[in-house]
Amino acid sequence: MLREIRQVLRLIQLMGKQRKRSSLKNTGALLVLLWTEKGSSHQRLNCTVAAAGSWCFGIEMQTLQADLKKVLLPDVWPCPEPDPEELSAFTDLYGSLKFLLNFQCVKDVMSFFQMKNPGHYSSKWQAHVKAFLQTFGLTNAGIRIQLKFKIHGQKSQHDFSAFLISKVALSVQPPLILDVTCSAQPWCNQRGLWCQKGHPVVGERFPLGIPPKAMDQGLFGELSVQIVSLLSPCVLQYPHLPTELSRMQVLVFSPSNVPVSAPSGFFQTLPVALDYQHLGLGRMHCCSSKASPDDPVHSDGVVFTVERENWDDPERQPSHLPVQQSLLVLLFLQHSDPFTSELTDKMDCELLLELHLEDILSNNRQAVTSALQAELFNTMKALKERKKKREKLQSAAEVIVSATISIVSSSSNMDFRNACLKHMKVRDTHELSASLRESLWRVSSWKRLPKVGCYSAQVEGQAASNEAVRAEI
Amino acid sequence: DRNIMSAFEAQLFSEIDKLRVQLLNNVDIIAENQRAVEEISQDEILTQIEGVILGIMTSLSRDEVPILVLPNRSSWANISFDSAVGLQMSSEHSVTSIRSDCPSSVTKFAQILKILSVIYRLVQSNSYATKRDIYYSNIQLFGSQRTVDSIIDDISCMLKVPRRSLHVLATSKGLISGDLCYLEEDGTRVDCHPSSAVSISANIGGIRNIISSAKFIMIVEKDATFQRLLDDDLCTKLSPCILITGKGVPDVNSRLMVRKLWDTLHIPIFALVDADPHGTDELSECRSSMSFEAHSLTVPSVMWLGLLPSDLQRLRVPEDSLIPLTKADENKLNSLLKRPYLTSQPDWSKEIELMQQSKVKAELQSLSSIAPDFLTNIYLPNKLRYGGWV
Repeated sequence: MLREIRQVLRLIQLMGKQRKRSSLKNTGALLVLLWTEKGSSHQRLNCTVAAAGSWCFGIEMQTLQADLKKVLLPDVWPCPEPDPEELSAFTDLYGSLKFLLNFQCVKDVMSFFQMKNPGHYSSKWQAHVKAFLQTFGLTNAGIRIQLKFKIHGQKSQHDFSAFLISKVALSVQPPLILDVTCSAQPWCNQRGLWCQKGHPVVGERFPLGIPPKAMDQGLFGELSVQIVSLLSPCVLQYPHLPTELSRMQVLVFSPSNVPVSAPSGFFQTLPVALDYQHLGLGRMHCCSSKASPDDPVHSDGVVFTVERENWDDPERQPSHLPVQQSLLVLLFLQHSDPFTSELTDKMDCELLLELHLEDILSNNRQAVTSALQAELFNTMKALKERKKKREKLQSAAEVIVSATISIVSSSSNMDFRNACLKHMKVRDTHELSASLRESLWRVSSWKRLPKVGCYSAQVEGQAASNEAVRAEI
Repeated sequence: DRNIMSAFEAQLFSEIDKLRVQLLNNVDIIAENQRAVEEISQDEILTQIEGVILGIMTSLSRDEVPILVLPNRSSWANISFDSAVGLQMSSEHSVTSIRSDCPSSVTKFAQILKILSVIYRLVQSNSYATKRDIYYSNIQLFGSQRTVDSIIDDISCMLKVPRRSLHVLATSKGLISGDLCYLEEDGTRVDCHPSSAVSISANIGGIRNIISSAKFIMIVEKDATFQRLLDDDLCTKLSPCILITGKGVPDVNSRLMVRKLWDTLHIPIFALVDADPHGTDELSECRSSMSFEAHSLTVPSVMWLGLLPSDLQRLRVPEDSLIPLTKADENKLNSLLKRPYLTSQPDWSKEIELMQQSKVKAELQSLSSIAPDFLTNIYLPNKLRYGGWV
C-alpha cells in the first residue's frame, strides 16, 4: 500500500511540475485515509488520497482515466467510496477537492487475509505509513497532511504541518519548502530562549553516472544529486556552549521530491570509507533506520551514530556535558531526459531510479562518499571552531581562578576574605575555588547572542510537538 | 689664569643662570616637593586590588559576567594639558571593557588578574620584580614582553597609582654621566663623574642623597651622540653638568631620573635631538606624556637646545647633509602641531613650521660636515653661552 501511496504522491508532484507550478503555489493539504468497510465481512483495506489547495492547481480529474490509473497503479482494485463525512471534514478545512483517488491494494488485501495477529501488524504498518508521510512533509512543508486510519472499528488521526519553514534554493529544481522545526532540545532543558529552527545548508551538487543495468531497463538522461543538510538543535545563540555531533541521518528523495528508501547496503559501507582524523570525529556506526526518541520519525532513512569522547568521565559534571547534535543529510535526486516528456514516462523513470538506487550509488561510490565527507567536514569545522573558543575560555578561567584564590588566600584582610566567601556562598577557599570555576563556566557557557535568523521561544523544558498548529511567521 | 678661567665660566653660564632664576620663579617648588614626597601606601594598593577581586565575586554571585574597566590610554580625548604638570588624564575619560565571557578578551582578562596577583604578593612582601621577571614567570600566558608592559601600564591607570607603587620595576636602558653622586636604596654609592657613563638605576624611587653642583642637565636623544660627547670630554669642557640619554625613546626610568634631578637640583634641562619629526616627538615626551602619572615623568621646563630647524639655515649646513621629509614625516609634523601643549610653546611651533616649510630634516651628525668637532667645540658651547634655546 505504501508503494501505491508513494506513486500517487509522485503523480500529483509530477503533474504539478508539468504545469510549471511555481513554488509559491506549493501549498495546500493532503488527506490519506486508510479504512476498512463497516459491517463488511471482507477485511479489505481501502485507500483514499485526496488533495486540495494550490499544489494541485490545474489537475483535471477527468484526465486520470481508468486506463491511466491502471498503468500507474497496476496492483489495485476499485474500491467503494469513502464516508462522505470524512471528505467533507477535509474540504471544510482546506477547500474543495482538486484530486481524489480511491483504490484497494491487492497485496495488502492478501496480507490481511493471511495475518495471524491483525492488531500487531496493523500498528507497525500504520507507524510506517505515518513515518513516510512525515518525511514527505519534511520537504513539502507547504502541504498540511492528514492521515486517518479507520481499521477494524479503531480510528486514529494524525495531522502533520510545519511550525517553521525555510525556502531553500536548489541548483536545478524549483526552491524547496523545508520543514525546519526543531523539536529536539538540549539535554539540560535549561530555561531560556532556544532556537526552534533549523538552518539548512545547501551543499554541493554533483553528477551521477547511470549504471549499465539501469540503462538496459530504459533509464537514460542526466542524473545528479544535490545535498542539503540540517544540524539540530540550533545552538548558534549560545556560541560558547559545548556541543558534539552524535548522530547523522541520511534521507533520499526522488526527482519529484517524494521520499525513497535509502539503500542500506550502500550506506552500511560508508563508515569504513570516511577519514575520521581529517574530520576530527569519532568513528561512525550504521544503525538500522531507527530514529532517536527525541527526533521526529523519518522512515526509509539511514541512521549513523558517532562514538563519543569521554562520555564516562566521572569528573565531568552532568551540567558540563556537551549538547548532542544531529545532522540530517537530504539527498535530492535530479533527473532530466529530453526524450521523456510524457507523464507516464517520467513516472517510469522515477520507478527505475528507485529500483536501481543502490546500484547507482555504488556505481558512484567515490563521488557520493566524498560529498558526504565534505558535508561532515563543513559541519565539524564549525563545531571545531566552537570547541577552540571553548578551550580558550576554559584555559583563561583556570588562570582567573588561581589568581583570585592566590589573592584571597594571602590576604590578611578578614573583611575582604569573609566578603568573598559570603558572595560565593562557600565556607573556605577550597570550596571557593570550585565555586568560582563553576560560576565562570556558567556565565560564559550560557552567554546568549541573539541571531537574526533564529526563531527563539521560551522553553520550559519540554520538546515542542511536531504536530503543532502552524505558526504565522 | 684662574681669574681668566673664572671669567670664562661666568660668561659660559650667565644665560643658564638667568634661565634658572626664571624657572624657579615660575614653578611652585613647595608644592612640587610635597608631590614628590607623597607616596601611595602599601595598604592602599592592596585594598585597591582586593576591590577588583571583590567586584568579580559580586558579579559572579549575581550570575553576571565579570568585566574589568580600563581607562583608554590611547585616546587623546582622555587627556588635558596643565602648564605646571604637562599632560594628564582627564577626570572624565573613555574606558575599555575587558569581558571574561568573550574569547577575544578573556585572555587579557586572565593576564590582568595574573599580574594583579603577582603585584599583590610583591607589595605584601615589600619586594620588587622587574617587568621582565613577570614575563618569564609565564611566557605561555603572556606571549610577549610588550603584553606584560602594556598590562602593567593598564593596571597603573586602572588603580590610579604610579607604576613604581606596584613594586614593578622597568629594566633601565638609559645612561648618565657628569657631576652627580647619589645613594641607591640598598646603600650603593653611585658616582657619575668618571668619563664612562653609568646605567640609570632601576629603582629611581629609592635614590637618595643626591649631590651635584651641575649648572644644567642635557638630555641627548641618541646613544651615538651621547658617546661622542663623552669621548670629546664635554662634561669637562662644560663642567659642571650632567648628560643623560634614554638611547632613543626615553624609558620610564630615564624620565623618572630627569624628573628626580629637576625636583632635587632645580637646574635647567636642555634637550639635544635631531632636527626631524622623530626627535621632536621624543622631545615632547620629555616635556609631556600621555601617562597617567605625567606629573612624575615629565618636566614642563625642558628647553629645546638643538638641533633646531632654524640652526640649519643659520649655520648653512651643507645641503647634501639635509634629508627630504617623507609623507610620514609630514603627517607626523601635522600631528605634533595639534598637540595641546604646543599652543603654549609658540617658539617650538615656529621651529616645527619651519621644518614643514623647508621640507628637510637633519641629524646632529650633519654638523660634522661643517667641521669634525663643530658640535662639541663650537655649537654647544655657543648655544649655552648665548642662550640659543627655545
